[in-house]
Amino acid sequence: MPIEKGLKPTVGERITPPGHLTIFNGSPRGNKGNTRLMLEQFGEGFESVPGHTYELHNLNRLNDHKKFSQIFRDAESIWMGFPLYTDSMPGMVKAFIEALESLRGRENNPPIGFLVQSGFPEALHSRYVERYLEKLASRLKASYLGTIVKGSGEGIRMMPADRNAKLFSSLQGLGRELAQNGYLNPELLPEIAGVERYSALLGPVFKIFLRTSAASWHWDSQLKENGVYEERFAQPYAQQ
Amino acid sequence: MIITTLNGNPAPSNFDEYLAQLETRLEEKGQTVNHIALRDIDLSYCIGCFGCWVKTPGVCSSADESCEIRRAMIQSDFTLWAAPMNMGFPSALLKRALDKTIPLIHPYMVVDQGEAHHRKRYESYPRLGLLVEPELDTDANDLDIVTNIFSRIALNFKSRLEFSLTSDTPIEQLVNRIVEDLYPMCQSRKA
Repeated sequence: MPIEKGLKPTVGERITPPGHLTIFNGSPRGNKGNTRLMLEQFGEGFESVPGHTYELHNLNRLNDHKKFSQIFRDAESIWMGFPLYTDSMPGMVKAFIEALESLRGRENNPPIGFLVQSGFPEALHSRYVERYLEKLASRLKASYLGTIVKGSGEGIRMMPADRNAKLFSSLQGLGRELAQNGYLNPELLPEIAGVERYSALLGPVFKIFLRTSAASWHWDSQLKENGVYEERFAQPYAQQ
Repeated sequence: MIITTLNGNPAPSNFDEYLAQLETRLEEKGQTVNHIALRDIDLSYCIGCFGCWVKTPGVCSSADESCEIRRAMIQSDFTLWAAPMNMGFPSALLKRALDKTIPLIHPYMVVDQGEAHHRKRYESYPRLGLLVEPELDTDANDLDIVTNIFSRIALNFKSRLEFSLTSDTPIEQLVNRIVEDLYPMCQSRKA
């Protein structure tokens, strides 16, 4: 099947600024993931505006999905974030979306926005699920506030603070402006997304970089630490 | 041709019947079908630990039965992802299974079609197809969104999505699509 290329970022709506934001963290790693770090920055920016508050729930608490769907229904505004798993939402996020089935088409569902981060260096990988999320908001008859996309999201939690300063500042700015103006500042979104797609000029440079040991250092250091570096190309299910 | 069908139907319904008839017709045409009913196997969620990439390369660290899915997929010529749609996307059960197939690829990245993608772990991967049962409100836009996403998944699995069809498709048409169109391609892949 041909794959549609060059998908543009979606555009969120502007709403009356909400006073409270309910955030759902869809990272299967819960508190230990990169997604939570990013969502917290967004929430803190929102909360930095006097009179504004946020709460955050981890969707990896699978037994709480029913309770979370009630929290969703009663919320003033929603943000849902997750890491990209096989080009879409993690299985447990899809399970939560299914737990919202009774809210399909309901009047007065809260406005909803999203955050998708992936380990891929380009933002384009997340644009496909972004279109699903926009449609999900419409299925819920909820105002769609937009999707924050972040490439190169894996490893944020391991970075020294100064390496994340710009990203965190932008996320806080987005949260602050949501509280003040009721929409995602479109100027900050590309800063967070990073490279959308490598140009014909940069592509070959990136290709060469991928052949260097620096490119695989993140994985090699862990493989070596675990004593399995030599088995890194194992094919356990290959036919004998 | 060895065909694996991954049935992501979370509860018995007519979709199972459709799939069973499809599989019977494929077998009558001389194909070997390996059916996995995902709801009947012990399948935990991927928790993003990356143990399959850095601790036990190629093998999921959890002790569930997901190895059955990975083995069946990688040893097949063609794998059919099958599931009812729910909230505009194939079932959470199918998605849970898909998340558990990342041990089939490698953490290293390569450039493919001008984009970063994971390096392959195996020499060859099955051709892929998607079969969904529409919901009452499924429209062409939903199918377009899902088809694009599953084409991306196939690309990351070093393969391609050969078709994306609904269970409204006459079974014989689907059988022909798999046997007559794909069989020659799978044979040439082996050569």
